[in-house]
Amino acid sequence: MYKPYNFILRSRKMVKRSTTEAPSSSSSSFHSMSPLQTFFVRLICGVGLGAGFWVAYNVYFINLVSHPSDTLRLIWVIESPIVILLYSYLRKNPDTSSYFKAVVRGLLGLPVGALVNALGAIALGAPMGIQYMTNTFDWSLLMSQFTPNGSVDYMICLPTHGAVIGAWFGAWPMPLDWERPWQEWPICVSYGAMAGYLIGMVASFGFVLIRGRQQHQKGD
Amino acid sequence: MTKCHCLHNLILKKLISSHIFPSRSRRSTEFEQSKHFCSKSMSYKLSVSSITCKRLTLLSISAVFIQIIGLSLFVFGFFPVKLALSGVSGPESYRAPACDSNHNQTHMSLPPPQLRSLYQDLSGIPPSFDRLILMDFASWYDSIHVIDGLPAEFVLGKDGNPPRKAFMEAMPYTQSLLANGMAIGYHAKAAPPTVTMPRLKAMVSGAVGGFLDVAFNFNTQALLDDNLLGQFFSIGWKMVMLGDETWLKLFPGLFTRQDGVSSFFLAGILLDLLTAAAVGCSTLPNYVALVLLLFFMSLTLAEHLCLVNVEVKDTVQVDQNVSRHLGDELSRDDWNLLVCLSFLLTKIYCIAFEHFPLLRRLLFCTVVTYTGTTFPDSSLSRIGSCWTYWWSQQVLPHQVVTERIIIFLFQFGIFSCILMFVHFLSVLMAPKLVEMDQIVKMIHTSIIQTQESDQGNTLLVSAFLFFIVCNNTLELWKQIDVVVSDHGMTESGNHGGSSFEETDSLALFIGLRNHVSDYASATNNTAYQVDIAPTLALLFGVPIPKNNIGVLISESFDSLKDDHRLRALELNSWQLLRLLQAHSSGLSCGNIPYNGFSDSKTSGTTACNGSTEKMLCCLYMKAAVLHNSWKSKQVSESDRWEVYSSTFAAYHKFLKTASEWLSSRATDKPVNLLASGVAAMLLSCLIFLSLILRMCREVSLVEKQHLSELGSNSQRWHLDETFVLGVIFILVVSMTSSSMVEEEHYIWHFMASTLYLVLLRKTAQLLPAGSRVFRGQNIMSSVFVLLISGRILRGWHQGGVNWTYLPDISKWLEQGGNDLVKAVQLVSGVMAICVGLYALSFFGSKKIIVQVVGINFCIAGLLVLQYVMRYQDNTFVPSSDGATLLAQIIYAILGSATVGTVVVIPWLIPIHLSDMGSSHNIFLSTLVPSDIKEKSPLMEIRDSLYVIGWSYILCWCLLQLLQQPINSMPLFLLLVQIMTSMLYFSYSCLHHKEWVEVSALCFLGMAGHFALGNSNTLATIDVAGAFIGISSHSTLLSGILMFSITYASPMLALLSMVVYMSVKSYLVVPHNVDSGHLLKTMLGFPCLVPLGINSILLTAYTIVLLLMRNHLFVWSVFSPKVENIHEGSFRCLVPICLCYNCLHLRWGHYCGCDWDIRIFGAGNAENEAIFNFQSLTIQDRA
Repeated sequence: MYKPYNFILRSRKMVKRSTTEAPSSSSSSFHSMSPLQTFFVRLICGVGLGAGFWVAYNVYFINLVSHPSDTLRLIWVIESPIVILLYSYLRKNPDTSSYFKAVVRGLLGLPVGALVNALGAIALGAPMGIQYMTNTFDWSLLMSQFTPNGSVDYMICLPTHGAVIGAWFGAWPMPLDWERPWQEWPICVSYGAMAGYLIGMVASFGFVLIRGRQQHQKGD
Repeated sequence: MTKCHCLHNLILKKLISSHIFPSRSRRSTEFEQSKHFCSKSMSYKLSVSSITCKRLTLLSISAVFIQIIGLSLFVFGFFPVKLALSGVSGPESYRAPACDSNHNQTHMSLPPPQLRSLYQDLSGIPPSFDRLILMDFASWYDSIHVIDGLPAEFVLGKDGNPPRKAFMEAMPYTQSLLANGMAIGYHAKAAPPTVTMPRLKAMVSGAVGGFLDVAFNFNTQALLDDNLLGQFFSIGWKMVMLGDETWLKLFPGLFTRQDGVSSFFLAGILLDLLTAAAVGCSTLPNYVALVLLLFFMSLTLAEHLCLVNVEVKDTVQVDQNVSRHLGDELSRDDWNLLVCLSFLLTKIYCIAFEHFPLLRRLLFCTVVTYTGTTFPDSSLSRIGSCWTYWWSQQVLPHQVVTERIIIFLFQFGIFSCILMFVHFLSVLMAPKLVEMDQIVKMIHTSIIQTQESDQGNTLLVSAFLFFIVCNNTLELWKQIDVVVSDHGMTESGNHGGSSFEETDSLALFIGLRNHVSDYASATNNTAYQVDIAPTLALLFGVPIPKNNIGVLISESFDSLKDDHRLRALELNSWQLLRLLQAHSSGLSCGNIPYNGFSDSKTSGTTACNGSTEKMLCCLYMKAAVLHNSWKSKQVSESDRWEVYSSTFAAYHKFLKTASEWLSSRATDKPVNLLASGVAAMLLSCLIFLSLILRMCREVSLVEKQHLSELGSNSQRWHLDETFVLGVIFILVVSMTSSSMVEEEHYIWHFMASTLYLVLLRKTAQLLPAGSRVFRGQNIMSSVFVLLISGRILRGWHQGGVNWTYLPDISKWLEQGGNDLVKAVQLVSGVMAICVGLYALSFFGSKKIIVQVVGINFCIAGLLVLQYVMRYQDNTFVPSSDGATLLAQIIYAILGSATVGTVVVIPWLIPIHLSDMGSSHNIFLSTLVPSDIKEKSPLMEIRDSLYVIGWSYILCWCLLQLLQQPINSMPLFLLLVQIMTSMLYFSYSCLHHKEWVEVSALCFLGMAGHFALGNSNTLATIDVAGAFIGISSHSTLLSGILMFSITYASPMLALLSMVVYMSVKSYLVVPHNVDSGHLLKTMLGFPCLVPLGINSILLTAYTIVLLLMRNHLFVWSVFSPKVENIHEGSFRCLVPICLCYNCLHLRWGHYCGCDWDIRIFGAGNAENEAIFNFQSLTIQDRA
């Protein structure tokens, strides 16, 4: 019934090292990114998330509480092309690897990350029943987009950590006897992950700004 | 091959050589590196000013000691003991308290009629009534919630407003009685433990029960305290009872005629022991008692099964029977008192027994509930009730389909309890009231008819949620019915707490002579439930029960003459004064001028101030003086009314103050005791923490020296350490929530898994990629094994309270049938034995020893398997002689093997004492003394610790395998977890702080505790296993077995600490330091950290309990939890003792020539033994 924690972070590094650079792993190039660029990346990701919710609510008239699986699927379908294309565009070494290759790698990395996330969630107690499988599947795909791996850059790390920690804390209300519909797996966990992700994005952008100013001063 | 990492790398070596590393060259390089590393670390002379081992030991022992003392203080303070007067009120209660020194006891030998007349003469109040009907309706009933009280609101309305129209219409007869002034209704305030039995007792004896009363007189079921019924009996009343046998047990021999409905009283009594054990303390005797009673319960299980079925299914018929008898009895005239149980619920159907697998649990709850009602005392029954409510909610929640089906455990009446499953809607409340009204009407009209036909005195006592007291004398044709509900209930149906709704119950007096004209004054009265006892006693001319704290309800005496009313007040005052004197010896109003009239005028007008005692005394004297002056008839007729009213007011003031003071004494918790208990626990907690901190600082100092030389930076933020601290914080915080306490197993599993994920992440970060990738994978895989087995363990039992209905593996296996379970058990048994032997086989040096030990355990294991195959079909079948014998053989082999190992191993492992003294210098001068290392005594200690530790673990596991079949696989998984943890910790020798690893083991143990199906309720304790292999009723042995079953997993984790000490590589290898330091280094963390964690949790929980003492769930959720934690502190002693003892042996041998060390070691062991003994005795007393 509970959620993954640093499992994801950890194992994603393993995944990267042993197999592939997962979807958005082109992150090291962020060193050269300007704050403006970072801001737009963050903005687009956030807008994508918001767009997913908007479509779910206004087009299909579903929400996370009533149709958790459908909503999560919708969100990750909308979010995944944004994340993959965006991060592939900002790939680590644009000279050696082509854009197309990065996209393919991202597409491959997505299910791998989802698997790792799902395993982590199950290890921490996510329900195993067949009826929960689709939920777990959709949730882990979404988490996979929140947790691009292989970066030591805190601009990537912060939202990732935020998502995982948010999901971890999101799992807390689940066993309580409040009898609220959102206590079902994986609703509150998803909320927690998204909240953590957004907080992490804001924080990382703030860090980028501060660092940029410091560097600016140093340059002077 | 070097022996440098001999033991802590033993497992690694084996694995590497057998599976992973084909190439020896790589291995040797690796070990060269580690050897180098180790020897470097050894070279540091400990320059830190460190705490000596002896001081550490003494401090920790004293801390544990303080903790136990604090806990005992707290327990005694929190569960207050009532101060009660023994004996029964006699004629002396009609004299002033000052004169009671010279009274004689001859009255007890008087025949009842004379005693009756004696009482009448003494009291000076003509008895207004001589027949009594006590009727108690208990209706557990509601759609959504349990309602087992009838709030006065239904009948009387609230805040002066009439009740809702539906209720008015539902009870037309009662309402008409109220409206006509035939009846007076009271909001009878109940004192906080608003559960049935204490309330009943309050009404019968006027006393407020103490929490531990039951624990102190559990060997008898009779209500020993002075009570109304006993008084009635002593004046020769004939009493008749229709209803439950329990009533007979409570008041044995009091009834001349009875029609008892059988009940499982025996089990109720036995379960009472359980409750006593639950609340009070977790001492061994209590566990023994618990075991004993549960054994009896299982013996009578079959019988009860039938009973419950009959009773529940034929409730309607029973009801009809009682009604018929009621009619019969009403027409007779040879009794004074009739107790009648009316089962008013007609639409009750039992769903429970269609679900056979659940029957056991249901029965358990029933009996627990029953306990609550059986014993008239206080909060114990409250636990029963609350548990009942939960159980009822959790048993079949999946039946909630279209409408809310709530299943109830039904308590019938105050005196009987029957398991009921009720499916009602709230709207049925009105029909329910109609039924009650009809009963009232039936009794009332029949009494009127009897009176009209001039057939004499009728008295009816029927027990249910109402008391109806009815009395009519020949000449006056007056009746009094008192309808009393025992307690109210909140909107949500909970009860037990102290909110307005809960404490608002109903007392309805029907038949009082005074006719109140208006409806409002008939309904808008307030009284206390305890007031009923003195009122009835005075009305019926018997002495007021000794421990009564109630005040008579003055409206009941309106029909009497003035002097009689004052006399009644005076009698009540005397009785209260006696009780006051018993409570505070300083209170001596005995020197009041009882017959003095001299200064009446002056003292009557002064205000009363000062301390409570003085004030009470003064109030009483004022009233007494006024009364005397009124009696002396010195006042003129014109003043008479004035004096009367002032006397009346003065008496009332005294009574009220005294009553409040006494009741607050009964329910208040002694603050000093609680505070000192908490303070002691805080102190011990601080000692532990400071010790751990100090150890940490020492270790980190050494580490820093070491690492700075190696050139690595140690100043990093460690996620795992932060997380462990966070876990403890989260645990403390989560204790404040009752929901979290209920679902504690989620927290432990979540935390343990997360901690291992964190460790995994850290390990992966620290592992350099490339050359050591194999080793890395090895570590990874061990963590994965840990996680997977942890997840399976988590899915094995759905514990807790709210989610037990969810599918889990154990349910699935049980559905598969006995054969499947047995197969799983056998497989896991075989695997567990294999794992254990495999682990033992890692032992390097003395193969022959290991073989002997292994063969011993192998034999024991095979016997266990045989036992499982042959005998373990059904745990509820009384085991045959063969099974008992076999189990005893197993115990004997296990015990002898373990004890033998522990005693012999330290002497058998070769010791290299050779040139210990001289090697110091060599060692100091040379940096890499690899030759000395081989002779390191540490290695031998580790060897012996390794074998001893594994023999502990194996013994423990085999013992557990005899128990519940369904738990054998989790046990195996736990064993695997322990082993992989050892493997993991032995690999990552320097990656984690030692205390992190120890606490990880502790967390594993706690997660496993819940995975074995335990929970924070007492209901999950497995009793059947405690009698395996015990032929006679050895309560001590079964108590020990019970303990070992319940705390299998935490104990396993603690036992594994011994192995942990052996596999852990220590940074400081103490060649150059004294042996005390070595002992400290090895023992410090494994002993201190569990104790510290436990101490923190216990202290925090105590404080939470203190803060939550008025919480509704304090008895039901929080208190059982206390017992659990509390047990924890006890648990910790065991491994400490084991470690110290085995080390003592070891040291005694090793330091054959070193007297200091020997003395020190012996001192340690003795301290430990003494300490252990003391704690045991303390717990015993508690």
